[in-house]
Amino acid sequence: MKRHKVLGLAAVGAAGAIALAACGGSGGGGGGKNTSSAAFNAAVGAVYSPSSQKGGTITFDNSSGPDSTDAGNTYYAFNLNFTRLYATALTTYKSCPKLCGDQVVPGLASSLGTPSDNNKTWTYHLKPGVKFEDGTPVTSQDVKYAVERTFDRSVLPNGPSYFATLLAGNAAHYPGPFKHRSKNLMGLTAITTPDSSTVVFHLNQPFADFNYVVAFPQTAPVPPAKDTGADYQKHPLSTGPYKFASWQLNKQYTLVPNPQWNPSWNPQVKQLPSKIIVNLNVNANDVDNRLLAGDIQMDQPGTGVQAAARAHILSNPTLKASSDDPVTGFMWFYYINSKVKPLDNIHCRMAIEYAANKTNLQTAYGGPYGGSVASTAMPPTVLGYQKFDLYHALTKPGGDVAAAKQQLQMCGHPNGFTTNISYRSDRPREPASAQALQNALNQVGIKTTLKGFTAANYYSNFAGVPNYVHSHQIGLAAGGWGPDWPDAYGWGWALFDGKSIVPAGNTNISELNDPQINKWFLQMEQTTDQNQKNTYANDIDMQVMKDAAILPATYNKALLYRSPKLTNVNVNSYYGMYNYGTLGVKQ
Amino acid sequence: MITFVVRRLIATVFLLIIVSIITFAIFFLLPKLGGQTTYGLATQYVGRNPTRAAVLQVEHQLGLNQPLQVQYWHYLKAIVAGEHYSAGPHSVYCPPPCFGYSFKSQQPVWPQMVSDAPVTLSLAIGAAVIWLVSGVAVGVVSALKRGSLIDRLSMGTALAGISLPIFFTGLISLLLFSYKWPVFPDVQYVGLTTNPLLWARNLVLPWVTLAFLYSALYARLTRAGMLETMSEDYIRTARAKGLAERKVVLKHALRAVLTPIITIFGLDLGLLLGGAVLTETTFSLHGLGFFTIQAIQNQDFPEIMGVVMLASFFIVIANMVVDILYAYVDPRVRH
Amino acid sequence: MTAPIEVSGDAAAAPEAVLSGVSAKVVEGRSLGQIAWLRLRRDRVAMTGGLIVLVLIVIAIIGPYFVQNPSTYHAGLINPTFSRPNGAFGGISLAHPLGVEPVTGRDMLARIVIGARYSLLIGFLATALAVALGVLMGVIAGYFGGWVDSVIARSMDVFLAFPLLVFAIALVGVIPSSAFGLSGNTLRVTLLVFIIGFFAWPYMGRIIRGQTLSLREREFVDAARSMGARGPYILFRELLPNLVGPILVYSTLLIPTNILFEAALDYLGVGIVPPTPSWGQMLANAVQQGFFSVDPMYMVVPGVAIFITVMAFNLFGDGLRDALDPRTR
Repeated sequence: MKRHKVLGLAAVGAAGAIALAACGGSGGGGGGKNTSSAAFNAAVGAVYSPSSQKGGTITFDNSSGPDSTDAGNTYYAFNLNFTRLYATALTTYKSCPKLCGDQVVPGLASSLGTPSDNNKTWTYHLKPGVKFEDGTPVTSQDVKYAVERTFDRSVLPNGPSYFATLLAGNAAHYPGPFKHRSKNLMGLTAITTPDSSTVVFHLNQPFADFNYVVAFPQTAPVPPAKDTGADYQKHPLSTGPYKFASWQLNKQYTLVPNPQWNPSWNPQVKQLPSKIIVNLNVNANDVDNRLLAGDIQMDQPGTGVQAAARAHILSNPTLKASSDDPVTGFMWFYYINSKVKPLDNIHCRMAIEYAANKTNLQTAYGGPYGGSVASTAMPPTVLGYQKFDLYHALTKPGGDVAAAKQQLQMCGHPNGFTTNISYRSDRPREPASAQALQNALNQVGIKTTLKGFTAANYYSNFAGVPNYVHSHQIGLAAGGWGPDWPDAYGWGWALFDGKSIVPAGNTNISELNDPQINKWFLQMEQTTDQNQKNTYANDIDMQVMKDAAILPATYNKALLYRSPKLTNVNVNSYYGMYNYGTLGVKQ
Repeated sequence: MITFVVRRLIATVFLLIIVSIITFAIFFLLPKLGGQTTYGLATQYVGRNPTRAAVLQVEHQLGLNQPLQVQYWHYLKAIVAGEHYSAGPHSVYCPPPCFGYSFKSQQPVWPQMVSDAPVTLSLAIGAAVIWLVSGVAVGVVSALKRGSLIDRLSMGTALAGISLPIFFTGLISLLLFSYKWPVFPDVQYVGLTTNPLLWARNLVLPWVTLAFLYSALYARLTRAGMLETMSEDYIRTARAKGLAERKVVLKHALRAVLTPIITIFGLDLGLLLGGAVLTETTFSLHGLGFFTIQAIQNQDFPEIMGVVMLASFFIVIANMVVDILYAYVDPRVRH
Repeated sequence: MTAPIEVSGDAAAAPEAVLSGVSAKVVEGRSLGQIAWLRLRRDRVAMTGGLIVLVLIVIAIIGPYFVQNPSTYHAGLINPTFSRPNGAFGGISLAHPLGVEPVTGRDMLARIVIGARYSLLIGFLATALAVALGVLMGVIAGYFGGWVDSVIARSMDVFLAFPLLVFAIALVGVIPSSAFGLSGNTLRVTLLVFIIGFFAWPYMGRIIRGQTLSLREREFVDAARSMGARGPYILFRELLPNLVGPILVYSTLLIPTNILFEAALDYLGVGIVPPTPSWGQMLANAVQQGFFSVDPMYMVVPGVAIFITVMAFNLFGDGLRDALDPRTR
């Protein structure tokens, strides 16, 4: 069973305004204090048990597995976190506690990118002396090739597709370097390599957030001669502190220290344990037990323990002191479609906002340790977030029936109306949540029918296909989201911008196309001024809620167990889980 | 005899082909009848926010836009003769039996099934031994002590056994022996060659759970068979000529009873993948049953086709073996 | 899954066996049915089973009108930290005699009763379909023989070669949530009935074919034929009445198998669509969210419901078979 289901395709953590204000927008200092006393949430605001002791083995269990161990073919938050151990991207996120961990800092590049031509051209210089695990030096061509190969979606389908949509030149129809290799190898015209240590990206539009885009491990170098396509994941050539020692499909992979590694290549990761083991497809019943018993040190997906272990941990003070319950930056919500009748009337949408019972939704999504009640369309971890509560989610979490009925009057359906709710029936929490919503809406006369789909094709064939949504009258669609990077653009472009509506695989299921919101996103593409961006973030958030396009459910939290043997434990707020790049272990 | 075997073999292959055609048609035709386009089908294998070019590329690569019979022909050819796939800079040869490349994991299907097979085989064989031995033993004893307390008790238990769903008994056994009293704390598969002791210990709960259902069935069957046989004339004759009761039961009666039992045993083994789906789901064992469920959840057609074909293969082979054995024992069947 | 029925060799001899089992004491003039009924009535275990079946049917039909709303949330009865019901045994109380569901606090009794309705509905309908198809095909194959028999027997082989459960889940998975002009649970129930019934008919077909083959050669059929009776007459007036016994027995035994099968599909997430409750779905929730260890009642209640239902049908079916064929007792 899918007990440790990965939250979303890109369940990624996020940053906060306060940290950036404190850090002045650039790479500020170390964040929180260090601590060695075990306490609940000890690793959330500080580094727990700091140490530089080398040696020992860390074992990760995963009841399923990553989408791929190839860094160019992954989108899972935990794997973006984990692949840093062997793949160094041009930029990366800072390893420090609290919101400091949301800053993008140089990785393989010697500094953040230099924009020119109104943010349409981005130039990166590689650090000198970086080598692959076999001793060959890393060149700018290897970085270009790494991006090129992600264009072949028939071989590497999983990663984000920012490069395909943002790059200029032949990017729109470039098939990747695998087909007709002699012609297409190094054939992507939008990336140029003027010398062996410089990579230049030419975009088809201004894009101020490009430093975040190259933080995806799709830019971690791959030598063209060593690439084996789909099989490259069996032994990706390392540019990080660890390299692959073994790889067995769906069973296990192990990492050992990379002897070539030099800490200056990427100061955000460490080389402490002498072995890292990842067990895949572990019996889900056992992961928590093994974790609590000390047989393993980490649950790789980082989405929190199950109900049994939760009860066990929270009722035992010693265990509770060894656990953390961080905000993950992920959010659960419902899309309210603005095209399906009668929800094309804003008052009908507002009636839903008021009528929903937020407490019951919270319970469905795992109770107070699984998330807190949400009142906005962005989680508090997004840069520029400000708290507000338009529909009494916080003051009347049980639902505001009177206000809902008033809205129903105004929309011309005083006795309610009928519509459908879609959800993913094989996600552990969505069926319960959809039933909670159905029950609450029923109280004000809004009759709904539940439509469950498999998660595999929810976006591609059903909820993400506007034609299907219209013809099947799907007024409400359950969704969950994690930002691709921690600002409002990385959170919300795919959800709220009118340009993001596509005929299949659509993520703007509300079909929100508000000219004002579109304009703010456009402005965010053009400005690198963080204060300005923060203002837009709040504006967008507020407008989405005014449009009643999203019914927020919870800001997700995850109850994580912190193995007492581990050192350097801290929750990275971008990934929304323990930072896998810096862990050490006592022997 | 040889012509019978050959005829049976040809029929088996023919049967498998028909099963594969039906399966193929259902999984590739039904979604289309349900309004699914091949473009939409391809979209689910591309990841989030794909560009149109990327979807078209995948659609082409998976051959989804080809006519159904062409796709089927390729599928069949790959199983028999292998196939070259382009999944990187160089094309990769997938040797027969090549069940295609998974749409989702970009791995050939066959090695994945092979790597999951030991779990299901261990589960099946262990459980089969338990249920055959215990089922037949209980059945024989019940029949001999017909009407006694033992008979009533064991038949009552057997009746309960066939009335309990595997996934309920499985959960109960997990709750009691893995959580409450952790006698068998881990139900994690460990390779037989890695650590035989751990292999057995970790599989005890799934074995017993699966075997309980079948033991119950076999106990009832054996008892019914024994009762019938014991009233046959030749048993009476054997007794009349003064043979010890033990000998009568073991040498004469049991032998006659076992033939149909073994037949059904063969067929049940072939069908066991179905039982494995439920047992493996309940115990989160990552064998072929779990693989099946995941393939279905991911709508990964090559994987679905692969397991359906493998499962049918086992059923058909089991049928064939039973038939041939029968023909060997009873020559009348051959004609 | 195994074959639902114990196809032992004696099945073919059933009607004759009934005759041979009639002792000298039996009063003259009683029909076979009356004799069987007398025997069945004396079988207390079988009668208990039958009684439970009757009660279950009554519950399934009128029960839903007497229980509380199965969808009403009782958040107050749930411990928010652990998501499990307050109080012992899954929050059993006077208001909620079987306790409440974790997370939602919905009344378990109401959900069990509504689950019974769907379980029995699908069990009966699927069995009816399987029996209708099986009897039709079996009689045709057995009576006409020749190429008709070969074709039907081969197609039964094909059906039996499919991995039932695997195929059923895959099939439900690919059919969209509205098709053939139906949607929601109406579609799902129809689908489940068709899939289960469609895969179960060959078992019935094989038995009936065997019976028909042996009956065809009997004197009374020959007699009818020699008196000029034609196919349909022989089929319906001579053969079918003699098949009623086995049809009845195996239908009764097929119902619990189908109920179990439906529960398995619910358990694997391809059965009845929530919020409509079903027993298998409740067990699936218990295991998926790990509640079976935190709140065992959530698993025990639906599990026991399945158990009682299936057991009752099995008891009754066994008794029925014994009544028609006392040798296997």
